[in-house]
Amino acid sequence: MAPISQLLLSPAELAYLHHSLTLSPPIRPDGRIPTQFRALVAESDILPGPYGSARVCFSDGTEAIVGIKAEVEKSKVKFGSEEQRLRLGEGEGDDDDDGEATQRGRGQGEDSWVDMSIEIPGFRDDDALPVFLSAMLTEALLSTDHLRDRLWINRRFHWKLYIDILLLSPPLSYPLPLLSLTTHLALLSARLPKLKSELDEDPLFDDDWEASTFLYPYSKTGLRVERPPITLLVMVAGANIIFDPSKEELAVAESVIAISAAATSGEEVAKVLAIRTIDPPSRLTPPGVPNIINTATGGNAPLSGADASIARETLQAQNVWTPPRGGLKRGMLSLILRTVTEKGGVVDEVLEALDAISVGT
Amino acid sequence: MTSLKRSFANDASAPNLSSKVFVRATKSGKVQKIVRELYLRQDIPCSSKLCSKCLERAPLNYHNKVPQFVLSDQPAGTKLFPHGHYLVPDTNAFLTGMDVFEVETGFRDVIVLQTVLEEVKNRSLPLYHRLISLTKNEGKRFFVFFNEFRLETYVVRGNGETINDRNDRAVRQAVKWYEDHLQVASAVISKSRNCPAIVMISDDQDNLRKAKGEGLKGIKLSDYVSSLDNADELLDMVSAGQEQQAVRSSKTEMFYPEYYSLSKMITGVKAGTMHQGTFSVSPYNYLEGSIRVPAFDKSLLVLGRENSNRAVSGDVVVVEVLSKDQWKAPSSKIIEEDTLNKNDNADVEEGGESVVTERERRALQEEVKKAHGKGPEGRPQPTARVVGIIKRNWRQYVGHVDKDSVRSSAKQSRAQQMVFLIPMDKRIPKIRIRTRQAGEMIGKRILVTIDSWDRESRYPVGHFVRSLGELESKGAETEALLLEYDVQYRPFPKTVLDCLPEEGHDWIVPPLDDPGWRGRRDLRDLLVCSIDPPGCVDIDDALHARLLPNGNFEVGVHIADVSHFVKPNNAMDKEASMRGTTVYLVDKRIDMLPMLLGTDLCSLKPYVERYAFSVIWEVTPNADIVSAEFTKSVIRSREAFSYEAAQIRIDDASQQDDLTNGMRTLLMLSKKLRQKRMDAGALNLASPEVKVQTESETSDPVDVQTKQHLDTNSLVEEFMLLANISVAGKNYQAFPQTALLRRHGAPPKTNFEELANQLRVKRGMELKVDSSKALADSLDTCVDPAEPFFNTLIRILATRCMMSAEYFCSGTQSYPEFRHYGLASEIYTHFTSPIRRYADLEAHRQLAAAIGYEQLDASLQSKSKLEAVCKNINVRHRNAQFAGRASIEYYVGQALKGRIVDEDAFVMRVFENGFVVFVPRFGIEGLIRLREMETPEPKCEFDGERYVLKVLGKKERGFELFQKVRVRISDVAEESTGKRKVRMEVL
Repeated sequence: MAPISQLLLSPAELAYLHHSLTLSPPIRPDGRIPTQFRALVAESDILPGPYGSARVCFSDGTEAIVGIKAEVEKSKVKFGSEEQRLRLGEGEGDDDDDGEATQRGRGQGEDSWVDMSIEIPGFRDDDALPVFLSAMLTEALLSTDHLRDRLWINRRFHWKLYIDILLLSPPLSYPLPLLSLTTHLALLSARLPKLKSELDEDPLFDDDWEASTFLYPYSKTGLRVERPPITLLVMVAGANIIFDPSKEELAVAESVIAISAAATSGEEVAKVLAIRTIDPPSRLTPPGVPNIINTATGGNAPLSGADASIARETLQAQNVWTPPRGGLKRGMLSLILRTVTEKGGVVDEVLEALDAISVGT
Repeated sequence: MTSLKRSFANDASAPNLSSKVFVRATKSGKVQKIVRELYLRQDIPCSSKLCSKCLERAPLNYHNKVPQFVLSDQPAGTKLFPHGHYLVPDTNAFLTGMDVFEVETGFRDVIVLQTVLEEVKNRSLPLYHRLISLTKNEGKRFFVFFNEFRLETYVVRGNGETINDRNDRAVRQAVKWYEDHLQVASAVISKSRNCPAIVMISDDQDNLRKAKGEGLKGIKLSDYVSSLDNADELLDMVSAGQEQQAVRSSKTEMFYPEYYSLSKMITGVKAGTMHQGTFSVSPYNYLEGSIRVPAFDKSLLVLGRENSNRAVSGDVVVVEVLSKDQWKAPSSKIIEEDTLNKNDNADVEEGGESVVTERERRALQEEVKKAHGKGPEGRPQPTARVVGIIKRNWRQYVGHVDKDSVRSSAKQSRAQQMVFLIPMDKRIPKIRIRTRQAGEMIGKRILVTIDSWDRESRYPVGHFVRSLGELESKGAETEALLLEYDVQYRPFPKTVLDCLPEEGHDWIVPPLDDPGWRGRRDLRDLLVCSIDPPGCVDIDDALHARLLPNGNFEVGVHIADVSHFVKPNNAMDKEASMRGTTVYLVDKRIDMLPMLLGTDLCSLKPYVERYAFSVIWEVTPNADIVSAEFTKSVIRSREAFSYEAAQIRIDDASQQDDLTNGMRTLLMLSKKLRQKRMDAGALNLASPEVKVQTESETSDPVDVQTKQHLDTNSLVEEFMLLANISVAGKNYQAFPQTALLRRHGAPPKTNFEELANQLRVKRGMELKVDSSKALADSLDTCVDPAEPFFNTLIRILATRCMMSAEYFCSGTQSYPEFRHYGLASEIYTHFTSPIRRYADLEAHRQLAAAIGYEQLDASLQSKSKLEAVCKNINVRHRNAQFAGRASIEYYVGQALKGRIVDEDAFVMRVFENGFVVFVPRFGIEGLIRLREMETPEPKCEFDGERYVLKVLGKKERGFELFQKVRVRISDVAEESTGKRKVRMEVL
């Protein structure tokens, strides 16, 4: 998390912030309630060129655009696969063609069919931040079968999906929620040309773009069968769980985790797909100096660095800012998961809001 | 946050901006979403002469002028629209009725909408080209209105609207706009004036209904045509396909299997489980087709109607190889469609019939039996079945109406009925056409097109285009020939004639200081002469020879400098490249270049100075080449000889002038050159060549002669070959990638299998085919001392086993593939007849660039462009040959008309129920069927392995291959068709 610009807050300010966040209920600097997200403006399907696109602006001025494109690619022959046997002419493996037409392609997809690139101003594409972010987002996308299956055209061809994420503003806060929401919207608007050919033929597509089908199709009832996952950033301060932390809040977070979750239709509770702990920037904040070792307040300054750290470790000064240490408690984690996934929980809430966007625009 | 999205529908700031989104697949299999932005404008004119407002606003063209307005201010009216009307046809109107729109007498003032034009282009490229040429025809007044670019007529596709509906709406919108627009325009001229009606023509019921709802005038094409004066004829020209579908939709019986989907075929072809190739039908057996595919040496057989599955000869099809138990031998029987299915009724919609009639099935059955024979001819061959069509190569077909299919009662009446049209080309199935003028069509040559061939119809359905005239009349038959072989015979358009030099016939070689002389050598003092067939007016070559001080000879070949007059890429060049070659018919010549050039300015006429392109060699008395030189020149031919005259002059010992001696030198050298060529393995092939003598005034055929071959013929031939070879080498050296060359591939051995076997079985002769030399030598040994013609017959048969020579671009083949098999030359091109062959013209341009005379045009440097040129001239060349041959055949028939001649003939091919004979005197082949020898058809024994047919009739006699028989040739008019045919009987 280091690369994010450090907030220049004094230990006293940090201590104040942290204290207010640990209250019950917590008092956030911008007045939100713990589960509230920053206000955002969003629109989807903004660009004519790509297969799907979206743009989201957070109220703190961060802004991202996502474009999605797809290309037809020839699938590699997997060793020992049915395809290889067919090519070698061993047995007419057509047994699944008739009865299980709807099952074709289930579980055949590969992770390499999704390619995500994230561009953040001031970062190279092989810097840790973009790589880590894209790993987190891709991981969530590929943790269910739906997307991979959708990219499967037939035994010989598949779509290769390119997700290009562009952060337009400097990364003022950790941009994970922003990018995740934008990607989610773009995927919802993404469409693939309609397939005209059958079975394992070379794919031919309908040249009418209007006929193209959604990457995340609607069921007959007008609801999405499946929706792309979202990745939320959650921080813990004392006993409080705070969603979508701003940069100031992150500066005093005790621990930060990214949770990827998706709601599947027909199931009450959202499903957690992935969890990652993130090294909070608060670890790098300057610690406050307790009065005891501050000569200005009549204390005795330790003579060496070793002395200083011993002094700090042994002190139990609560009133001075100390960068947080240690991990997340189990109880806390399960509390977070419950908040995220329960019916009407944060995921439900967010998805509902996003749906309104993609339908509304 | 301001939206980044550009919403075209309701953005007031950008009313003239729109976009179009579609999916496109690239050749490499990539799929792209394409977004096109459209910038709508308001200055696109309506192009009606009624409108003055558009004239003011219309944008200027390249010449800074407003283009001439097209639509007349007083368009013609009809019964329905007495005040005149402009037609706005929908796409389906053009698709079904293009022939009607092309009629010269009517259908003027037509607005072709861009929407429609694009749809036509997507549906049928040939129709699109015809439509484009219609819009270029000034008299027809067809105007392409770019409605998609004009703000008022552009329509945005609605939510959930199909493309078709959107386009229909665009058409209606344009009609509406025109109506309102012209209303205003004509009101400007005078208040009382009646504005012409804007009539939408569409066959789409829904579109018509909506038009009515919007208060527009819409009418069905057939209804509109019915209201015209010559409705009967015009109605016949409307394609039959669509309406019938509605009638027949209730029927479920399908005669033919369904085609595979395109993607399935492409996948299959790529994977090698299916094969793609051009379908061709055997001229002897209409039920037997064959298809050459790259995967196999021999072509695959396609037997029977069901397997050929609606493929018409010439279509590019995809086939699937059948399992081995269905393999069959090629037919040894003559099966002709008109004899087998004589009694079909065109009007019956084939209710309970199956696609294969009982008789056809029996005919096939007998063949299967034969398939189990053991000889190489009877060995079962792989068969295939057509599973889909990649490209229909349907063209217009010439034929005549089957008299029997016309209801006798209807001969006089105007009632509509279905009749059969029997195409001239035997390989094309009968075509059903719906007509009201059946009575008038009998006994005429008729041009038709095929519209469709549905699964539920045994024969393809077509429609009448026009009548060429009485059967057997010279005009009709000649035009039929030209149409059948796709020879462009219309007069040269004005744009082409504009490219000719302004001086016309008065053009002369300019004085020495003219820029035309730059780089040209003055060879006017050389004693040049030309030797050509008698009566030749387009003289492209002339020769000279003289003794050099060192004892060697200087020999020059001078070719007409056509490339001086025909500059690359102008209209004349394009026309010539499209025509590809001059076509020689017995009584007619269809020129590649306008007369002025071909017979005057370029032609190396005697006694006048002409530009030439000269090849000059230094040759030893042994005819070894010392050096070759190429130059543009000016020559003055001293004399134009015919072959015969030249021969007489050379033989006349009293003539001792320099010119004659030069010719003697040429003759001497040519004999040595020929010997060398023969030693190298050049083939001396034969094709039956006859000459038809015609009366000079009426050009009615009087007599038929086989062509004489004189020494002077080969004199010219040898030096032309030498020039071609020299130029080929030079061009290839200068342009290794893009030289236009001519090659003659070595025929695969399998081609000769049958002939070799026949010779071995019948005569015990061995045909060696390892190389052209071996073949030439073994052909020389195939002699029957008792029968001098036997050798020629074998040569004719051997020629048929060869591949055809072809033009190609040097970059597309490796050097060993350049070889000309027949001439035994490593490299070859055509250079010596630029007046009548386009390839030679291109070779001239390349040679001119190779010697640094001028810059090479870009079109001659692009491999792909040159390949396209080669492809076209190869086809044209072949067609010209076929047309020429067919013309001779026709005239031979005419010369025989009303006569009975007894002639010697040779058996060329033996079938189970007949045999083919070749008559050397007339160069014609004739089919003799058993059933014609005696009635009832005599019993016979056929030995396919020994090529013997034993007839066990009243008189027992045997016929075998290569046997000489005496035949009586007469001509008969076939009763059903009224068509005259050469008929042969064995004496």
